[in-house]
Amino acid sequence: MVLSRSPPETFLATLRSEEIQFAIGLSLKTSIASTVLCILVAVPAAYALARYDFPGKSLVSAILDMPLSLPPLVAGIGLLLFFGASMPGKELAEFGLVFVFTPAGIVVAQFFVNVPFMLRIMRSTFEGISPRYEHVAKTLGCTDAQAILRVTLPMASNGLLAGSVITWSKGIGEFGAVLMLAGATRMRTETLPISLFLNMSCGRLDEAISAATILILVSVVSLCVFEWRFGGLRHF
Amino acid sequence: MLRIEKVSKDLGDFVLRDVSLEVGSGEYLVIIGPTGSGKTILMETVAGISSPDEGRIFLDGREITREVPRNRKVCMVYQDFMLFPHLSVKENIAFGLRVRKAATDEIEERVNEASELLGISHLHHRMPETLSGGEKQRVSIARAIVMEPKVLLLDEPLSALDGVTREKLRRELKRIHEVYGTTIIHVTHNFEEVFSLADKVAVMSRGEIVQVGTPEDIFRRPRCEMIANFVGVENIFRGVASKSRGLVEIEVEGLKIASATSWNGDEDGKWGADQWRVRAIREGKKGSEVFASVRSEDILISKAPLESSARNSFEGRVVEISNGGTMVKVWVDVGIPFMVMLTRRGYEEMDLAVGDHVYLTFKATAVHVF
Repeated sequence: MVLSRSPPETFLATLRSEEIQFAIGLSLKTSIASTVLCILVAVPAAYALARYDFPGKSLVSAILDMPLSLPPLVAGIGLLLFFGASMPGKELAEFGLVFVFTPAGIVVAQFFVNVPFMLRIMRSTFEGISPRYEHVAKTLGCTDAQAILRVTLPMASNGLLAGSVITWSKGIGEFGAVLMLAGATRMRTETLPISLFLNMSCGRLDEAISAATILILVSVVSLCVFEWRFGGLRHF
Repeated sequence: MLRIEKVSKDLGDFVLRDVSLEVGSGEYLVIIGPTGSGKTILMETVAGISSPDEGRIFLDGREITREVPRNRKVCMVYQDFMLFPHLSVKENIAFGLRVRKAATDEIEERVNEASELLGISHLHHRMPETLSGGEKQRVSIARAIVMEPKVLLLDEPLSALDGVTREKLRRELKRIHEVYGTTIIHVTHNFEEVFSLADKVAVMSRGEIVQVGTPEDIFRRPRCEMIANFVGVENIFRGVASKSRGLVEIEVEGLKIASATSWNGDEDGKWGADQWRVRAIREGKKGSEVFASVRSEDILISKAPLESSARNSFEGRVVEISNGGTMVKVWVDVGIPFMVMLTRRGYEEMDLAVGDHVYLTFKATAVHVF
């Protein structure tokens, strides 16, 4: 439907427009940044949740899973209130960490919405790896950290790749939370979904469809990577 | 020498209670016990993977109770191999040496030596997932012995393998023990492994060491119901093997028991009574000492000599009868004690009593030599 609406020439012409190029660039930058952040946070957290028992573990795990069921729009308004109106948010802003209506806010919004997915995938990946591999590694001379780096992480590489691809493609498509926290400012916080929304609301259908087409391509490509590399999402 | 002093550990489902054990240098200790008796935690405690709640562990006089695994010189081999799937066979074997940053030549040399001993040199470039169970276990044993550990822990190393492979690998363990002289602790629930490998046996049940002794002690004077039950179905003897018409005959306290085992070895011709004799001489035992077992239900009991093709027939006296409901156990002394299992019906029809004069008959194929 979307793809057949306008001819390929129009798509290519809009691709060359400054606005769409900006949106592509910003989307790539923010989604890659938020994916990296997700990896940095979710991998150690997932490892801890998979390997150790501690009091309140189920509570922690429920809180971490909450954004999964929360509408992104609601998550976005929560973030906006936190960074815009709360004490810690204001203090962060004084240090120059301004997330409200800025491109950095896009990264934060994507991170917050996507980190539970990454955590889920990594946790089930780690849970699928017997701790005995590490035990053997330790008797063979590894420290705790070496056992993780040399054995568990390489064994988890498929899960890590899967998690990164899905986090990245979800990040690129994130709209609700980004709209709330970073706003929809043309040529400033205009990611592809925001661009789709802005152009749609002022009747510039060709640009809107162009952005939509790119988003479709991203999701098709990541789905293909999944099918080809992991045989589908059902493992997680 | 490894000394375990009053070690206790509570993991909820699995517990160790006040376990004390001594294993001499170069000794082959087999720990036998049913699933869930705490054998694996005991091993992991020795390896340093879990630390005991109470008690102390000494290795060669040095206390290692709180020492991290990598400083213990204790290596562990699990039943399910635990080969690192992202590394090739060779990288798996070299893993520990690499971590310790050994020189490349040394790594090469030790890996090749261990691989040759275990016959896995040709597998070096394969990935673990392409190997058979027996090959995987050889690789994981090689991975441990290249570290030249003071103690090698084997946690049911043969349980995941099929019969023939298990038999072969069992002999190889014996050989590794001879070549490297490593102290080995081997956990199992398979009684044959006890007889063919152990210098010393420890019986574990519900987190406690119930009995320690030579294999024969344990089976002749079992202090544990589990062992007693096993002895209940199996008559085990230690005897001297000799050749009789190409087959193995075992002499046990003057009684000659014929077996159907070929003198010249098993199917692959590598391991027969000749090898047992070689082994026995090497181990300083007299003659070619072997173990033989006969399952109690394979023995026929009768009040008159039986006319049959069975090669073994002995005359004796009933010494004890234990009526256990559906099955009745009858002990007969024919110079050595035999236990015969009868169904209740069979027992009633025979009308046996202690002191009765009876004949025992069983086929040569019922005699299992190991």
